[in-house]
Amino acid sequence: MIRVAAKLWAFIVRDFQQQVSYRLAFLLQIGGMFLSLGAFFFLTRMIDPNAKGLDGMNPFEWMLLGLAFQYYFSTALYAFSAKVRSEQMMGTLEAMLVSPTSTGLVIFSSAAWDFTYAGFRVLLYLGGAWLIFGISFHLENFPVLLLGIVLTLLSSVGLGMLSASFILYFKRGDPINFFLSGMTTFFGTVFFPAEQLPAFLQGVSDYLPITWSLRVVRGALLQGKGFAELQSDLAALAVLTAVLLPAGLFLSRIAIRKAKQEGSLVQY
Amino acid sequence: MGHAVEARRLEKRFTRKRSIRELLFQPFRKAEVVEALRGVDLTIREGEIFGLLGPNGAGKTTLLKILSCLVLPDEGSATIGGHPTSREQEVKPLIGLVHSDERSFYWRLSGRQNMNFFSTLYEVPRERRDGRIAELLQKVDMDDAADRPFADYSSGMKQRMSIARAMLHDPPILLMDEPTRSLDPAAALSLRRFIQDELSGRDRKTIVLATHNLHEAELLCSRIAVLMKGKVRQVGTVEEVRRWGLDTRNYELELDRWPAEAGGRFNVLSDRAWEDGRRIRIGLSGDDGLNPMLAYLLEQGVTIRGCTQVDADLEGAFARILEAE
Ligand SMILES: Nc1ncnc2c1ncn2[C@@H]1O[C@H](COP(=O)(O)OP(=O)(O)OP(=O)(O)O)[C@@H](O)[C@H]1O
Ligand SMILES: [Mg+2]
Repeated sequence: MIRVAAKLWAFIVRDFQQQVSYRLAFLLQIGGMFLSLGAFFFLTRMIDPNAKGLDGMNPFEWMLLGLAFQYYFSTALYAFSAKVRSEQMMGTLEAMLVSPTSTGLVIFSSAAWDFTYAGFRVLLYLGGAWLIFGISFHLENFPVLLLGIVLTLLSSVGLGMLSASFILYFKRGDPINFFLSGMTTFFGTVFFPAEQLPAFLQGVSDYLPITWSLRVVRGALLQGKGFAELQSDLAALAVLTAVLLPAGLFLSRIAIRKAKQEGSLVQY
Repeated sequence: MGHAVEARRLEKRFTRKRSIRELLFQPFRKAEVVEALRGVDLTIREGEIFGLLGPNGAGKTTLLKILSCLVLPDEGSATIGGHPTSREQEVKPLIGLVHSDERSFYWRLSGRQNMNFFSTLYEVPRERRDGRIAELLQKVDMDDAADRPFADYSSGMKQRMSIARAMLHDPPILLMDEPTRSLDPAAALSLRRFIQDELSGRDRKTIVLATHNLHEAELLCSRIAVLMKGKVRQVGTVEEVRRWGLDTRNYELELDRWPAEAGGRFNVLSDRAWEDGRRIRIGLSGDDGLNPMLAYLLEQGVTIRGCTQVDADLEGAFARILEAE
C-alpha cells in the first residue's frame, strides 16, 4: 500500500516537474480561464433566473459549477487514454512496464497528475469567482461536499479507465471519447437543467455521474443543503461509482492482456 | 552453473493492424499475419554474454520483449532464472532491459529526475535511492551531466542513461537490444568496452545482446545464436558458428611463383591476389591437406615464403546460413 502510494506520488512529481518546464503555457492557461469566466458572467446575465430547473440558484453560479465539474469529467475521459498513447509514442510506457510495477498501476497513475491539476484548476476557478465576482459559497456542509467530490473523482476515474480500455482494445478510441464527452456536455446539466429537455430525453441525464455530482455540489455550495437533503443524490452517485469503477478496472485488465498478446501495448 | 534464460518452442505471430479505410473497403479480407518467432529454443547460461544475431525483422526484439514480459508468446514458454515469464512479479526483479530506442525517457526532465522517477518504479528503497542513483551515474560516467535536461544529451549519453536505468534494481540479467545502434564508432567502442569490462567482467551480469552487427558479436559474445526469420539457425561459440558449413580450411601462401598446372589440383579461392603480389589463397578440405600440398609445391621447385591459416569469418558463415535456407 505504501509502495503504491509512493509510486503514485512519483508520477505526480514527474508530471509536475514537466509542467513547470512549460511555465509560460501555464500562465496563459490561467489567463484564458479567467477570460472565459468573465464571458460566462456576462452571458448568464441574459438568462432568466426563474427558469425551470435552476431551483432559484443564480444562473452564473449554477453554470460556474457546471463548467468546473465538466472540466473534471472531460479530464478523466481524456487523461488516461491520452497519457497512455503519448507515453506509448515516447517509448516511456515500455520503460515503465519492464519495471516491477503492474500495468494497471502504471496506467492508473499516469493520470494522477492530470486529476490533481484539474482539481487545482477547479479551485482556482471557484476562488477567482469568489474574488472577482464576489460570489459566496456555503461551506458549512463541508463533509458532504467532500464526500460528493470523492465520489465524483472515483466515478470519473472509472469512466476514464473504461475509455482507456476501449482505446487499448480497439486501438482507436477517439470516437468513444468524443461521444462520451459530448453526452456529458449535453445531458450532464452543465449548461442547462435536464428539465429544459423534451420529456423523453430527460431520463438520459440520470445515467451520467456528472448529473448527480452537480446536484450534490450545487446543493451544498450554493444552497447550503446538508446530508439529509442530498442523500438520495449521493446514493445515486455511489451506485454509478460502484458500477463504473470496478467495470473500468476489470475491462482495463482485459484490454491490457489483449494488448500484450498483440504486442500493441508497447508498439504503436 | 545454472541457466539464466531458457526458451522452449517460443512462437509469436503478429497481425498487422488494418486501417479504417481497409476495414471499410475490404471488410472480409484476411488480415496479414507476420510470424515473428517460429519455435525458438535457447539456453543462456549464467554469467555469459550471449549474442542474438540476426538481420532486420529476424525476431530479436520480439524475443527480448517476451523475456521481459512485455509481450505474451502464442506458444511455448520461457523462464528467467527458473521462473516462468508468466509470473511477472518474480521475473521482473531479475531483468533489466536496455532499449534500442533512445527516446524512452522524459526529455524535459534531467537525467537525475528521470532516474528518480524510475527508481520508485523499480522499488529502490527510499533511503538508498539517492546513493544508488549517484553510484550508477558515476558508473556510466554521467555524473557531471546528470542535472542537464535529457534532451541535451548525445546519443551515447542517452544510451548510457538507459543502461544505468536498467541497473537500478541491480538485476542479475541484462537484456540489451542493439545498444550501439545509433552510436558513432568511437562511442560504440567505448560502450562495448564498458559492457565487457564493467557489466560482464566486474559485475558478473548475464548479458543477452541483440545485434545485427557481426563484428560486435565477434568482439563481445562468448556464445551466439543466429536468428533468421523467427528461427534459431545456429547456436554455439563464435568460433563454432564461424566455421559452420565449412568443410575446408583456408590458407594464404606466400610464394615466388604459382605453377600453372597447380590450379587444377587445388581449390584456389582468389587468384586476384596472385596477380598483384605473391600471395594466393587456397581452400583445403579436411585437416590433413596441408602437407601434401606443400610437398607438391616444393617438388615443383617453388620457394615458400609463408603459410598462414586464414580465419573463417562470421560474415561468411552468415552468408552460408542464409544460403542454406
Ligand atoms: N507489435 C507488432 N505488430 C505487428 N508486427 C510486429 C510487431 N512487432 C514485431 N512485428 C514484426 O515481427 C517481425 C520481427 O520483428 P522484430 O522487431 O522482433 O525483429 P528484429 O530482429 O528486432 O529486427 P530489427 O533488427 O529491425 O530490430 C517483423 O516482421 C516485425 O515487423
Ligand atoms: Mg529489433
